[in-house]
Amino acid sequence: MPCLYKRKTMNPPRLADRLLRLFCASDRLEEVQGDLHEEFTYQLRRIGQRRARWRYWWDVVGFLKPTFLSKRQSDTYSTTYLMSSIMIRNYFRTAWRNLVKNRFYSLINITGLTAGLAVGMLILLWVQDELSFDRFHQQSANMYRLENWAGTGSSRQIWTSTVAPIAEMGKKELPEIKEAVRLSYNYIYTLFKYKDKTVNEENTTFADPTLFSMFDFPLIQGNPVNPFPDNHSIILTESTAKRYFGNDNPIGKVLTTTDNNSFKVSGIIRDFPKNSSIQRDMVLPISLMFDTMYRERTDGRDQRNDFHNFNYDTYYVLQPDASIDQLTDKLRNIHLRNKPDDTDLTYLLQPLADMHLYRADGSNGGIETVRMFSIIALLILVIACINYVNLSTARSLLRSKEVSMRKIVGAAKSQLFMQFLIETALLFALATILAFGLMYALLPAYNQLSGKELVLDFSDYRLWRLIGLTIVGTLAASSIYPALLLSSFEPLKALKGKVSPRLSEATFRRVLVVTQFAVSVILIASTLIISNQLKYIQSKELGYDKTHVFGFFMRDEMSQHYDAVKADLLNQPGIAAVARASSNIVQIGAQTGDNEWDGKEKGETMFIRPVAIDKYFIPFFKIQLLRGVNFTDSPADSLHFILNETAVKRARINDPIGKSFRLWKDKGTIVGVVKDFHFESMRQKIEPAIFYYRPSQMRALYVKTTGQNAQEAIAAAQRAYKRYNPDFPFDYAFLDDSFNRLYKSEQQTGLLFNVFAGIAILISALGLFGLATYTAQVRTREIGVRKVLGASVSSIIQMLAKDFIKLVLIAILIATPIAWYAMSQWLQDFAYKIDVQWWVFVLAGFLALAIALLTVSFQSIKAALMNPVKSLRSE
Amino acid sequence: MKRSYLGEFEEIVLLTVAVMEGQAYGVAITHEIIEQTGRAVRLNQIHAALDRLEDKGMVKSEMGEPTAERGGRRKRLFTVTAYGRRTLQEIQEVRVSFWDRLLSPLKPATSL
Repeated sequence: MPCLYKRKTMNPPRLADRLLRLFCASDRLEEVQGDLHEEFTYQLRRIGQRRARWRYWWDVVGFLKPTFLSKRQSDTYSTTYLMSSIMIRNYFRTAWRNLVKNRFYSLINITGLTAGLAVGMLILLWVQDELSFDRFHQQSANMYRLENWAGTGSSRQIWTSTVAPIAEMGKKELPEIKEAVRLSYNYIYTLFKYKDKTVNEENTTFADPTLFSMFDFPLIQGNPVNPFPDNHSIILTESTAKRYFGNDNPIGKVLTTTDNNSFKVSGIIRDFPKNSSIQRDMVLPISLMFDTMYRERTDGRDQRNDFHNFNYDTYYVLQPDASIDQLTDKLRNIHLRNKPDDTDLTYLLQPLADMHLYRADGSNGGIETVRMFSIIALLILVIACINYVNLSTARSLLRSKEVSMRKIVGAAKSQLFMQFLIETALLFALATILAFGLMYALLPAYNQLSGKELVLDFSDYRLWRLIGLTIVGTLAASSIYPALLLSSFEPLKALKGKVSPRLSEATFRRVLVVTQFAVSVILIASTLIISNQLKYIQSKELGYDKTHVFGFFMRDEMSQHYDAVKADLLNQPGIAAVARASSNIVQIGAQTGDNEWDGKEKGETMFIRPVAIDKYFIPFFKIQLLRGVNFTDSPADSLHFILNETAVKRARINDPIGKSFRLWKDKGTIVGVVKDFHFESMRQKIEPAIFYYRPSQMRALYVKTTGQNAQEAIAAAQRAYKRYNPDFPFDYAFLDDSFNRLYKSEQQTGLLFNVFAGIAILISALGLFGLATYTAQVRTREIGVRKVLGASVSSIIQMLAKDFIKLVLIAILIATPIAWYAMSQWLQDFAYKIDVQWWVFVLAGFLALAIALLTVSFQSIKAALMNPVKSLRSE
Repeated sequence: MKRSYLGEFEEIVLLTVAVMEGQAYGVAITHEIIEQTGRAVRLNQIHAALDRLEDKGMVKSEMGEPTAERGGRRKRLFTVTAYGRRTLQEIQEVRVSFWDRLLSPLKPATSL
């Protein structure tokens, strides 16, 4: 104990030490405290510990003064660091002053950058969304869709639906295939009822239960091992379930459907992600479909051996190292082993991730639009950057003195570089904030225009990646060159008024202006060509008359009473004529290769589009009957066929009337030939088509109105429909509308392209405006002198505009071949297309020139009209 | 340029540093001055004075060795710079010249 006591008192008071530490600068503490302790030891010996401690306190208090609070002054001069906080603060201050001082140019820069960044990022958002399709499945890298080539020669085509057995046989026999799933649209059950709620479900599917384990469509409720306990189980998406049951627990609830069928809800899945190519509302067990199809068959066909029905979308998960080429050959062997006469069939596998952007055969589909839009986004950003670079380098002349002064008082080049970098960054920061606001405001309109449902989800890392890359990229592109240029002035020369020749010639700037206008010309020309093509395909003579015609599909009951329905409709005011057929004339879906004619070669397949029609159909649509006769609605017609020109040509039948032709099981004769008409989008060539007569299949009813009482005609048709099927919604469409819907994606693309091109052109015009303003400003005194010496206003405008016009002309020369090439590529997608005509480029060039002249002349005229007295007096 | 002003206390401190020849640090200087002048000098005053002298460029300092009684802390050792030495000499010369002039007139005065 005494020892402890002693040790404690040997030390100076701890509290005092702590106080000292608080009030003494860190670099002084060591020596001061050392001195104090030494003194304490000395005093301890001299006057005893109690008084020594008092003294210690007294000494410490002496050090509680501002002198000791501040650090020791270092004896060397402070070095300037590139990143010292004082300098950075200074950079921001000068940058801000500069922005405010040159309000006009700052405004032009910020406007251009804001518009460019906002639009560029919106386009990139769209691109990102397109590219994300079907990639969210964990196994998506190893997932493939099974497709088959079928047919021979020009009839050879690709089908994305396959036969049923190949999925399971493949999985069983080939080790490369890990898992398989089949989907098939459900056309059997459409009307679902729960209590008083009845919904006509049009987007439902039959599927193997592997759908939920293979794809990332997990069950939120239900048994993942056995999703469908029996054939009358059904799995709904969340929002579908909500439609029927509200917030009640849907599991175990029963949906009833036509013919007293009922389905018990056995599971719920999350709604299919928006970027999934597979989108359905309900999933039914595929075993139910098989049961319905094969239960009553007597020929022994079932889902294990039916190689006739190409009705199923088949998806595989493969082993990562599987060879696709070998696998497709093996699948073909399996197919041929079971159905030897399908020699024209070969299998192919398309990666799931390609499904959305590439066609079934792997050729470019939507990816072309994605590329086109990516390029436009890039161009818009580049144009915005060019604006900034041009204006800041042009105006750098005015700052050469500032730079020189800074250099003379000791600024290093790296510091000046930093200063200008920060200036650009500040401007960019402002523009970015505004761009976010703009994006936010434009998003609803943009979604409507593009048909997407994009959101600015700030919790999504991909959004940040996109924004980050865009901003860093544009910032780097537009800050480095001006900063380099500005920081490289030679102070002596600059102060004497001689600037480096690089700057005064400004070749680089001219190159940029040319680039900008070349882009504008390309965009204008492309816009013209795209809209011409779209106009062309929509106004091209279709070969049939669809004006004032609407149509709808009849259900069984109505179709059975067609004669009564027809008689009733024809009595109504506003209805001029009715006709019926088996499919929609705007887009005939069905297709068959099951046909034969004299002269068909062995192994040849011709796919033909079969349409059942009545005798009114051909006159109703004013389809031209080239040879032979129309149907007569007599029973004999069931063995009569009418072909289109293409079918006759493709089958190489000379003098077809009276020749025999087999369609499916019906061996009949050709009685007529009609002129070709377009029953598909203009992207496709007209294909062979055949009209046959079978009243039971004619479900599509067409009504031609007189054009005046369309509403009454529709109401009459609806009454007739509801008389037979009160539960089902009456779904009609004017053919003009259905026709326009064929080109919806083209029109959307076209419209978006127009908007983007317009914005790009506006931004470049803005930049040119700024540049012209600057030129006029710099040359104020020169103009004054010229005017005093007798120059006319027009000659001065000419002088000012001449430089810019020259640049625009060069831009036109560069742009024309590029635009021509790009547009020829785009047009190749269409089977029916316009020629790229020379006047388009003349017009585009003329427009670009006009825009340039308009922007430049405003400033030029202002400068030319200025009173020389004023401009010369100002110094 | 005019020479910096040196206060009386600063002069004493500077002289002490000069006398101690490289062994001058806070506590030692304090004790030396107390011993030589009998004044009640406090440690913080010495530190402040040394700080000012260093600012004026009359002393320079470096850190010395740590000792046990200081709790392992180093001392800051001061030495007089050439400038400081010259300042001391000049002060001395001014004084001597005054004293020289004072000594002779004083004599008659004492004889009065």
